[in-house]
This record gives sequence, C-alpha cells and structure tokens, in this order.
Amino acid sequence: MKQAESILSLRDVEKTFAGHKAVDGVSLDIARGEVVAVIGPSGSGKSTMLRCINLLEVPDSGTISVDGKNLDTSGTVSARDLTQLRRRVGMVFQSFNLFPHMTVLRNISLPQERVLGRSREEADRRSMELLERVGLQQKADAYPAKCSGGQQQRVAIARALALDPEIMLFDEPTSALDPELGLEVLAVMRQLADTGMTMIVVTHEIHFAATVADRLIVMADGRILEQGPPQQVLDDPQHARTRTFLSAIKDR
Amino acid sequence: MDVLSIIVAAIPVTLGVTAASFAIGALLGLVLVAGRRSRWTVVRGISRSIVEVLRGIPPIVLLFIIFFGIGSGSLRMEPFQAAVIGLGLVSAAHLSEVYRGSLLAVPKGQFEAADALGLSRTTTSARVIAPQAFRVAMPGMVTWAISLLKDSALVSTIGVAEIMSVTNQYARSSGDGLMPFILAAAVYIAIGTPLAIWSRWLEKRFARIRKAA
Repeated sequence: MKQAESILSLRDVEKTFAGHKAVDGVSLDIARGEVVAVIGPSGSGKSTMLRCINLLEVPDSGTISVDGKNLDTSGTVSARDLTQLRRRVGMVFQSFNLFPHMTVLRNISLPQERVLGRSREEADRRSMELLERVGLQQKADAYPAKCSGGQQQRVAIARALALDPEIMLFDEPTSALDPELGLEVLAVMRQLADTGMTMIVVTHEIHFAATVADRLIVMADGRILEQGPPQQVLDDPQHARTRTFLSAIKDR
Repeated sequence: MDVLSIIVAAIPVTLGVTAASFAIGALLGLVLVAGRRSRWTVVRGISRSIVEVLRGIPPIVLLFIIFFGIGSGSLRMEPFQAAVIGLGLVSAAHLSEVYRGSLLAVPKGQFEAADALGLSRTTTSARVIAPQAFRVAMPGMVTWAISLLKDSALVSTIGVAEIMSVTNQYARSSGDGLMPFILAAAVYIAIGTPLAIWSRWLEKRFARIRKAA
C-alpha cells in the first residue's frame, strides 16, 4: 500500500492494561475507501486496537495519523486534536449506546448541532435522510427502547454517519444481536461499503468479511498474525493459529 | 389558641427550613460530586474528606458549632440562617453520595458514545449523562427530603420557631406532655406521606424507563 493513498496509518501502536499487552506494536495502513475486516479470538486485542484509532483508549506509544495528520500518542493528546480526530472517525459499538432519553431523531441530530454547529432544521433534515437510508424514517420519533436491537444499531450507524466521518469503525456490531437482526445491520453496512466509505470492522461474521471486505486481518496476542484478500486468508491461512481459529468459527 | 392551630401556623417555618436546606444541599452536592470525579487527585481527596467529615458529625453537633460557636462570635447569625446552613451542609454531603451512585449507574457505553461522537465534556455532562443520572437519583433525593423534613425538628434546639419548637413550648406551658407531641407527629406524617408516595411513584416510573432502555 502506498503511503500517499492511505487515509489512516497506525505505527507501532502499543497498549498495556495492568501488565497485559493488549495491543503489541500494531502498524497498519488503510486506503481511502478500503473495507477491512478484523477477526481473531477474544482477547486478541482487535477491539482495543480499534478503540485506539479514535483514542477511546489512548495508546501507550505509537503514532496514529488520519489523512496525513500525525498524532503522537506517547504524550498527552490535546482536547483540540482529540475533537479533530473524532469528528473524522465514526464509531459503532457492540451495545449500540444510543442515548435512551432522546428520540431516535434527537440521537442523530444533537451531535450534529453540538459538534458541527448545524442548525436544528439542518440537522433534522440530514437525520431524516440518513434514517431513510437505513430504512427507519418511521422510527424518527420513537425512543430507543421501542426499537429492536437491529433497529437501534442501524440508528447508531446513522448517528455516526451524520457527522460526515471519513472513516467508520465497527466494534463487533452484530455480536449482541439475534442472527436475523444482525443481517439487517450487515445489509446496511454492505450498502455503506458500496458508497466507498472507508471501514474497519471487528467482527466474527466470516461471511460478511469474505464478501464485503477488501482485506482480512487476523489478530492474536495483540499482534497482526496475517492479512490479505479475504478469500486467500480464509482458504489458505499461513499460520497454525489462524487455521485453528478459522476452523473453530466454521465448525459453529 | 388551641394547640393544633399553633402547630399548623409553624408548618411554613418547618417547610422553609427543609426547602432551603435541600436547595443548598442539592447545589453544593453537585459541586462535591464534581470534585469527587475531578481528574486532579488533590481535588478528589479534598472533596472526599469534606463529605466524610460532614457525614461523620451528628447534625445537632454541627448545628451547635455553627450557631453557638461561629454564630455567637464575629459572624452574627439568626437561628434560621444557622439552621439552613447546618442542614444544608449535611444535605450536600448526603446528596453528593446519591449523585455519585446515580452516575455510577449510567453505563460506561454512554460516556464512550459521547466521546466517540466528539461531544464536549459540558455537552456530555449536561445533555447525555445528567438526564440519565437524574432519573436514578430522583427517588434517593426525595427520600432525603423526607428525612430532612423530620430532622428539621433538630433546629428547635437553636431556637427556630418551627413545629417541634412551638409544640414543646405549648406542652411546657399547658402541662400536657402527650397530646401536643402526638399532634405534632401527625402533622409530620401528613406532610411527609405525600412525598413518600410521590417517591414510590417516581421510583416505579423510572424503573420502567430503565428496564425499557
């Protein structure tokens, strides 16, 4: 991957929790428009790596650069840099994390007003557009509690997209969902990938990874074990660890 | 004047002491809980010590310190002022603990979602966290208001003419030591019960919202 093309680069990112190296020197370049799926056993550091990208976890060392702007994470990161970074990177969580005391529409509009300074009308218009895109315009005035898990996750995707991010991070977006509800979320993500959005998806959905991702990364023990085109990694894994992990997933 | 009308006439004073102390406690409690969640260790330590000290002193001792100790010196104070300051401080410590518990009840994911969206600290606190924490804190706050209503009887000891004080005076002058106090008890119950019912109703209502969320 040529440096000039990459919209996101991680260099030697490390993160230790209580003596345990969750992320152990990960370097990664993501091209604009690329869809990257990250798989690996639990505890492999894939979620922590993802959370380091938008600094929900501040790495102990290493640099992160978005669109050529370098952030050295070994010192303290200024609030301004943090905001700059986060407005360009959207994130979708396993547990949706919608704000339960706001309607679906307010969930999507409030961040636009506060972060981008859009007017209420402008924000609401954009929110409705996005709700339509995820097929939930009829839920605009509902509270999250009145939505299924799959609907809540689609709203969460719309909420992140409303800030016009350049990169979208997905942290096991379907793990908390029944399989059929997961499918509607995956369909929205597939659509998003088709629009050319840069996406990094931590997931256990091998089929999604195989059919949507441009690249599949396998992580273990805080490191990138191997990576490549999904079919290649899935059909001809180079590491024994990968083979064990893949067969465990496929046998399910 | 019969005893009941004397007691009823003192209700506004009891309510005034209760309401003013509660208001002071509710606001100061916010300051204390903000201190306890500060990113600076020193601020956290100081806030925590203040809470521990205020909770460790019997309210009547605190009232005496403020009224007879401080109030009789350079800082002249009316009994009502001293009462409200004393019970306000006790309330601040207690309510800060109620707030703290309610903040712990807000899922970590809510803070993370706000962070990931790039919301400022102020917006996160005011628009995302506080409304959710408030629902959890509300029943505890009302429960405290009820305790405070009853504890306000303590301020009769520093000469605030509230329910307990006027009842006691009447009992002494009339020689009837039973009826006046039973009537006073009934009046406290009559004021406190609606609050208790409201608190239970709130608790049920918010539990329903939390479950749904």
